[in-house]
Amino acid sequence: MRKRVVLSNTNALEVEGLQDLSKNMVGDKQYIGKVLGLQGQTVDGLRAVEAFKAQQGWGLFRRPGVLVREETVRIGERLNTFKTNGVPRLVLDGNRGAGKSLMLLSSMAMAFVKGWIVVNFPEAQELTNAVTEYTPIPDTPLYSQNAYVATLLAAIAKANSTILDKLEISQKHPNVPIPLQSNITLSRLCELGARDPEIAWPIFEAFWSEITASGRPPILMALDGLQYIMTESEYHDANFKKIHAHDFAIIQHFVSYLSGKKSLPNGGAILAATSRSHAPKSKSVELALQQALERQDGGLFTEKDPWEKTYDARAEMALASVEVLKLGGLSKDEARGLMEYWAQSGVLRQRVDERTVAEKWALAGNGIVGEIERGALRTRI
Amino acid sequence: MSTALLNTKSSSLRHNGVPFPENRLIKKSLETFYGIGAHQSSRILAKFNIFPGARLGSVPSKTIAAISADLSQMTIENDLRKQVRDNIKRLRDMGSYRGRRHAMGLPVRGQRTRSQIATARKLNRADWKA
Repeated sequence: MRKRVVLSNTNALEVEGLQDLSKNMVGDKQYIGKVLGLQGQTVDGLRAVEAFKAQQGWGLFRRPGVLVREETVRIGERLNTFKTNGVPRLVLDGNRGAGKSLMLLSSMAMAFVKGWIVVNFPEAQELTNAVTEYTPIPDTPLYSQNAYVATLLAAIAKANSTILDKLEISQKHPNVPIPLQSNITLSRLCELGARDPEIAWPIFEAFWSEITASGRPPILMALDGLQYIMTESEYHDANFKKIHAHDFAIIQHFVSYLSGKKSLPNGGAILAATSRSHAPKSKSVELALQQALERQDGGLFTEKDPWEKTYDARAEMALASVEVLKLGGLSKDEARGLMEYWAQSGVLRQRVDERTVAEKWALAGNGIVGEIERGALRTRI
Repeated sequence: MSTALLNTKSSSLRHNGVPFPENRLIKKSLETFYGIGAHQSSRILAKFNIFPGARLGSVPSKTIAAISADLSQMTIENDLRKQVRDNIKRLRDMGSYRGRRHAMGLPVRGQRTRSQIATARKLNRADWKA
């Protein structure tokens, strides 16, 4: 009940002329400022990977729709050109309510329509605040979180069923404790792991080596709440010392791709969004993101504070070469497009002209989407 | 050895002979023992790689048996009570100031006695039982 997401409201009006996001629209600048609907299959996939969050306003509209921002198109271009420009390793940053989680959702939607495999960690805090079981992996300093990996495999199987049903395993997997038929589909492989948490981690490793084999589609990995995995977790080891987040196998897996240590042979993208509402403060993460922005803009380089004791070396190493996409406010045109969609859906009962758009935009701290929504849709007068 | 836990028939965790229900949190069950609070229970769980929200039914009985064995090695329950009682007895028998305060039921740690001595009157005893 807490996580229940309602995506449709029959009291809202059907918006005529709402185009659905499709493959040829990804990275196309002409759609900036327009709201695109999501196809049924895309919505199913996004729901299966838990991309929709309960506190977002999906339950107000007839169908889910996303605004195409300038940053959405930028990410779309990066998704289209991963072969020439390399696999993008992006961190989405921005103030609270700027639209980072929704940008992740748009990216996942674009990956779905392009026929990619999507792996999502909807809430990174579930991995580090000691609410799931953990077991040490023998002979390694790592820990595996079997229950979480089992649910992750179930989500992957459900969301990517159209692709994974058609692919069969092509390699031998000696690490998997149970016997595998030589011609099972990858979605069946995931389901085997989902059903039995004891073997979930070996099956995840087997699945990953299968989808990174040659000839497989590109992969999008997304994570929401980056700071949680860049610090110490709430778990303790046998000597009662806190376990660093990077000592968990599934987090180590994500971070090794985010940092560039491992690369996706068939291409794809690695995206991570920070959480600016209640994530742990990490001086290393802030510094790394600032340095990344400066590297991109070519500005002054912020040095490390020599007197600061709370830096985290592992977090610094992980974020040394990521790209940062800082989300600010919407432009007035984007805000207008969004508010027109709201008015057409019947949830915004105002005339959408230059004055009202400017008013809502200014009140929202120069266009922070979350604040525009709060001011326009959620104010109860 | 604490007699509250030794149970050779099954490997369930028991307090005063009564087993805990399976859906109870392990952390909470451990804290019902005299001498185990938030810190010690966290340490015990960490030693066996159990997360704090785990229920008794989710952990294999082998681990429960190991926890019981671990608990029987610690001074808890009656062993701990005896220890505290002996400490107070020692203070009294050697005629120390603290021993006399325990015997009179007055504050031991240098607090004011003009008022605010209700807790001392209630708790400080020479024949301390629990």
